Amino acid sequence: MAVTLPEGDLQTRLESYLDGFKNRHGLEESVVEGNVVRVAVEPGFVPAVLATAREALGIMHLAFITVVDRMGSFEVHYELLDLRGGIVRVKTTIQGEEPVIDTVTNIYPTANWHEREAYDMFGVAFKGHPDLRRTYMWQDHFDHHPLLKSFEISTRRTFEGLR
Amino acid sequence: MLKDEKRVESITLSGRESVRLANPDVRDEFGLETLDMNMGPQHPAMHGLLRLILELDGETVVRCDPVMGYLHRCQEKIAENRMYPAVIPLTDRLDYFANMHNEHGYVLAVEDLLDVEIPPRAEYIRVLMCELMRLASHIPSLGFLMLELGAFTPILYCFRERERIQTIFEAVTGARMMFHYIRIGGVKADLPPDIPQKIWDYIEGLEQRFQSDFVDLIQGNEIFISRTRGVGTMSQEKALEMGLTGPPLRCTGVDFDIRRDYPYSIYPELEFDVITDQAGDVEASYRVRIAEALQSIRLIKQCLEKMPEGEVMGDLGRRLRPAEGDGFGRVESPRGEFSVHVVSDGSDTPYRVHYRDPSFCNMQLLQEVIPGHYLPDIMPIMGLIDPVSGGWDK
Repeated sequence: MAVTLPEGDLQTRLESYLDGFKNRHGLEESVVEGNVVRVAVEPGFVPAVLATAREALGIMHLAFITVVDRMGSFEVHYELLDLRGGIVRVKTTIQGEEPVIDTVTNIYPTANWHEREAYDMFGVAFKGHPDLRRTYMWQDHFDHHPLLKSFEISTRRTFEGLR
Repeated sequence: MLKDEKRVESITLSGRESVRLANPDVRDEFGLETLDMNMGPQHPAMHGLLRLILELDGETVVRCDPVMGYLHRCQEKIAENRMYPAVIPLTDRLDYFANMHNEHGYVLAVEDLLDVEIPPRAEYIRVLMCELMRLASHIPSLGFLMLELGAFTPILYCFRERERIQTIFEAVTGARMMFHYIRIGGVKADLPPDIPQKIWDYIEGLEQRFQSDFVDLIQGNEIFISRTRGVGTMSQEKALEMGLTGPPLRCTGVDFDIRRDYPYSIYPELEFDVITDQAGDVEASYRVRIAEALQSIRLIKQCLEKMPEGEVMGDLGRRLRPAEGDGFGRVESPRGEFSVHVVSDGSDTPYRVHYRDPSFCNMQLLQEVIPGHYLPDIMPIMGLIDPVSGGWDK
């Protein structure tokens, strides 16, 4: 069976995405910039917002999940593509040193490995993930999450004094 | 039958946290259970350093679990400790069959933060190099596929072409593989004066021998067809669900190409077709790669014809300090969507760099598609995805 990809004018499509998010979740701070719809949500609402994107708005592709350690809080970015020029960037901030967020693997199955990678590198616990193992690091005897800012590397260089 | 303690041991080695005994449904009439087997990371036929934990019922694979990390080099952590331009040579080491695309993706992400104007000649040179790189990746990938099926001749033809393209790269960039050529704001140096003619001659020659060397030699071969047709078949829904991009997605018939749908650089000014195929199996991916290589030849010719004169480097300060914010770069690498997310905190080193590598994302397919296939079909399915070790391991 063939998959139908979105059609029509990009700008009207982006507006319809924005309206979809606003009507269902009241995300008043969402904006359209260029071909990007920026959505900022509370961590608890991420699965609901992504389910809206996937099922109601028909955005098929989760490109990647980026976690940023802000030292005290964690930003999680979800990049969604509708495969026809439109981008939806969902951003959330988790407070605290031990981040927990609901998984989106039941909405976008491709999130499986992206969430595993985020868990490996940052220790973000994705609640409900079917198979939350490390991707790159050792499975045993390694209790660190290397991309945390608190994980010091021995060769940190400073560029002070350079012009 | 494996004794229970032995089974537990093998499960600990494989890193699984939960103990799962073999599915009783797959016991045969003798009550035999399935066999756990490791394929790789030092398997002679394996694409790079990948380890597959396989559960076999006879010769049929019941479960496939890829294990990564054998080539992990902490690219993202190292990038946080380097100035912005110094990350470019690291990106070369990501997907080492698509170095130009990695550089291009990273550079686009940093330029997204900077708002620097790129001279048109630099854009043309970038696209020219990226399309040559695509040729130098697609053609050997056919050779690898054939090598996995047991045919040795095609890889020699394929690497002959790759060597010639690398010779062009050497003349332009000074390196055969790790180029460090695409820079923030432009490219390192202009093309040497004789190179456009050399590329043109090479491309003309390649176009002439393309049919005989890569199509007639492979397509239509009975063994090739019997080993690839209907192997690794997936539906469009499954392909999109698993987040596939690039040739593995297009061989199912989904019409998606970053170059057309999320245009960057000068691709809107160039003419090319997005190749799709309906079958969604290994043979279809082979056909897609062949046709895409021909489209790359078309793009290279257009680049050479339309190449404007002028500068190749934009005006940048000596020490880059992009404004605070997020920069995104997205390119169509030979394997699919390569995205870079750079987070800046206003200093001269990136706060966070995240690479979305197509090899990593496309490999999720293995878990879904391999179960139900025979053991020798695994290698053709790897040829469908054509993953590169440096890519999935970062």
